[in-house]
Amino acid sequence: MSKNYKEGFPYFVGMEKRLKTRGQVGIFVIVAVVIVAIILVIFMYPSLKSVVQGPLNPEAYLKDCISPGVKATIDNLGKHSGYSNLNEGYFVYDGEKIKYLCYVSGYYKTCVNQVPLLTSHFEKELSNSLKPKAQECVNSLVDEYKSRGYGVVVGSVSSESSVMLNKIKISFNSPMTISKEGVQTYKGFDIYVDSQMSELLSIAENVVEYESTLGDSETTYYMSYYPNLRMEKIKLSEGTKVYKLSNIVTKEQFIFASRSLSWPPGLALDQAGKA
Amino acid sequence: MKYNNKIVVGILLVLTLMVIISLGGFVSAVDTQNVCCEKTTTGLFCQDSTADKCVSSDGFRQAPTACRSTSFCKLGTCYDSEKGTCATNTPQRSCLEGNGTWSATNPEQCALGCCVLGDQAAFVTLVRCKQLSADLGLYTNYNKGITSETQCVLSIQNQDKGACVYESDFEKTCKFTTRAECSGTSSSTNATGVGKSTGIFYKDKLCSDESLGTNCKKTKQTTCLPGKDEVYFLDSCGNPANIYDSALADKNEYWTNVKTKLESCNPNDGNAGNTVCGNCNYLLGGYCRASTGLLGRATYGDNICANLNCAKTQNGKAYKHGEAWCVYTDTGALGNGNAPVGSRAYKHICVNGEEVVEQCADFRQEECIEDKITSTGVTFSQAACRVNRWQDCVAQTDEKACTNADRRDCVWKVAGKYSVANAQGSAEVTGICVPRVPPGLQFWGIATTNTAPPEAKLLGQAVEKANDYSDEARAICEQATFKCTVTLSKGLFDGSNDAKCKDEGILGGGGSDDKCDCWDDSKKGVKQSWIDKNTAICMALGDCGPKTNWIGSKGYTDGYKVSVADVAETKSSGGGLFG
Repeated sequence: MSKNYKEGFPYFVGMEKRLKTRGQVGIFVIVAVVIVAIILVIFMYPSLKSVVQGPLNPEAYLKDCISPGVKATIDNLGKHSGYSNLNEGYFVYDGEKIKYLCYVSGYYKTCVNQVPLLTSHFEKELSNSLKPKAQECVNSLVDEYKSRGYGVVVGSVSSESSVMLNKIKISFNSPMTISKEGVQTYKGFDIYVDSQMSELLSIAENVVEYESTLGDSETTYYMSYYPNLRMEKIKLSEGTKVYKLSNIVTKEQFIFASRSLSWPPGLALDQAGKA
Repeated sequence: MKYNNKIVVGILLVLTLMVIISLGGFVSAVDTQNVCCEKTTTGLFCQDSTADKCVSSDGFRQAPTACRSTSFCKLGTCYDSEKGTCATNTPQRSCLEGNGTWSATNPEQCALGCCVLGDQAAFVTLVRCKQLSADLGLYTNYNKGITSETQCVLSIQNQDKGACVYESDFEKTCKFTTRAECSGTSSSTNATGVGKSTGIFYKDKLCSDESLGTNCKKTKQTTCLPGKDEVYFLDSCGNPANIYDSALADKNEYWTNVKTKLESCNPNDGNAGNTVCGNCNYLLGGYCRASTGLLGRATYGDNICANLNCAKTQNGKAYKHGEAWCVYTDTGALGNGNAPVGSRAYKHICVNGEEVVEQCADFRQEECIEDKITSTGVTFSQAACRVNRWQDCVAQTDEKACTNADRRDCVWKVAGKYSVANAQGSAEVTGICVPRVPPGLQFWGIATTNTAPPEAKLLGQAVEKANDYSDEARAICEQATFKCTVTLSKGLFDGSNDAKCKDEGILGGGGSDDKCDCWDDSKKGVKQSWIDKNTAICMALGDCGPKTNWIGSKGYTDGYKVSVADVAETKSSGGGLFG
């Protein structure tokens, strides 16, 4: 019945629709004005911002700021054997440069350790890669304090990263004095980000130990000792082995290459005799 | 005079050209001389290479000898004083460039001892122990008297654990920990969290025990603990309690005393995917993990025993976590002197519910070996890629030496009497020793020598030294060149005009060598059975003869040649040559 009614009186139906639309637009405009007004009040009166957002915790702020950068950097370093800019001693696998942590040319010989201080090297690369982001985060923290009406005096900023058991520590060495009603002084901030990279690096060091001593390593041995480890060894025809270590839970990975005790096609006696 | 001058100028020109040419040759010879580079231009330390590939700046050295004979590339131990780690087989320069301390022998700092870290342990150096303890907020507890990792692990399993009761903010609270940590001797913050003050330790008691009167109560939350397989209940203070068992979640008794793994639910099962019991067993394929849609949801809490076993693998069989097995899927048989060209063995591993593939070395330089262990009715499969010891098979002239599995991987093929080439020239043998799994040969193209690192090709660098691999492939296959000399004779009383193969013992005198095995009188040519027998030997030596490849395709040529030639006309003799 109603269907017939609408079909019979198109003029009234269209008017009803227009009235509805006008009402909705009016409500939207009012809501938008209220939101803009609230935002303006918060920004014009920084003290109100503190009330709305609660007191600012500099460590939590820095952690929120730097954590995505830490994860992205670890991801990138892990894919390239701990090197951010790999330009020598590498192997190209699946279009990615992978560092030889242990290498020997020729056949029938065990490899020579190329990066003996792997964890320290990883830390240095991580520190260097995170420096710009750390500076950016401190600047952002200062701006945030200022927007809340605080007076901020900040010294020169430097940062350092350490690979620790189950976590990565980022030390912000940024002397900072924050004043408003009272004065707070900070020497720096230590931020911890959960990571299993320490375990992956120590496994990589151990694999290199095996490769350089015995010429190969047994992946099942590692996987039985480390329940969250996934270890893949890809043997290529010319003797290079690509190791892909990853943590099943955190999805972090560390990839590196080794060439040790490789066997030639046939005997290659002419080559075995050399060197 | 002018004529003489021209001669002198001409001689001088010729001499100058000779000097230039000889110098050029000398430079070229020096460039391609085999040397030990302390660092190569490709950034690798201590590699045997050619002089032109050595870095000569920054004090990097080179010597015209093998690296193992040089002092600057002597391998030693690199000690990282910051981390307390030691790396062996390290050249001095690569260690020093990373700010490490290098020594030719293992330094004192690299001695290992047992580092106790709460209820866990690590067999590490003292400096490493200090760092790990600091990372975990613990006092360093290091025992250098423990000399093995097993002893170290065992030493911490006997530690007393229980409830450590103390006061915090005028409230009686508790931490489930070791006796040492509770007494403030092993932790820098100790259980109480207030410097060196100590708590009262109750061995084998849980913090949720009502008789202790603490503020820690039972909950239905669960957790996974580092180094533990099982899912544990958590109390309201965040302490681990007993193994998760949904049936006992509300029972006060289960929240009072520590229950062992054997006293908990389903102790003889992996409990993978069990929603009511968290007694996971890693060796049986169960391990504590956060619940997800795939793993299923436990009745209480956010953790469950994840199933690490592989229900269905490529070969259709089910395997347990950690099991490994050999896989060979190429077309054509492998072993007993057979292997298709390009075929390869693979080891498959079941890890965390996933089937991981690991190749054995290419060119069949490794083979996959497999075995099963059966214990208490449970079978566990193990596999490994092992070196294929085929190299000296053909040099063996007796069956016993050939089939000595401790020394080599060969099979003895009884093939009649043959003359085979050896170091002394040739020898008469009744059988031939061939590789059990014939090696792959690079019978094509030009390959780099050992002096050019493989990445040189990838980096697009010029590869100057080259060696034709196909020469070696040819040399290996040519070992299967067999010759059979037969005597064809026509007797006075033979009805036919055709000469026939005769055993020389009948008319010609001398011993019978079954030489007529290779000659077919009706075909007037070489017998097919003789060809087949010898092609089999040829194929067993490597990628030789009329082989098919790993996908079952035949080669472009026959892979062998049979030729017949008269040796001596006077006695009407003929011969077959196989190669």
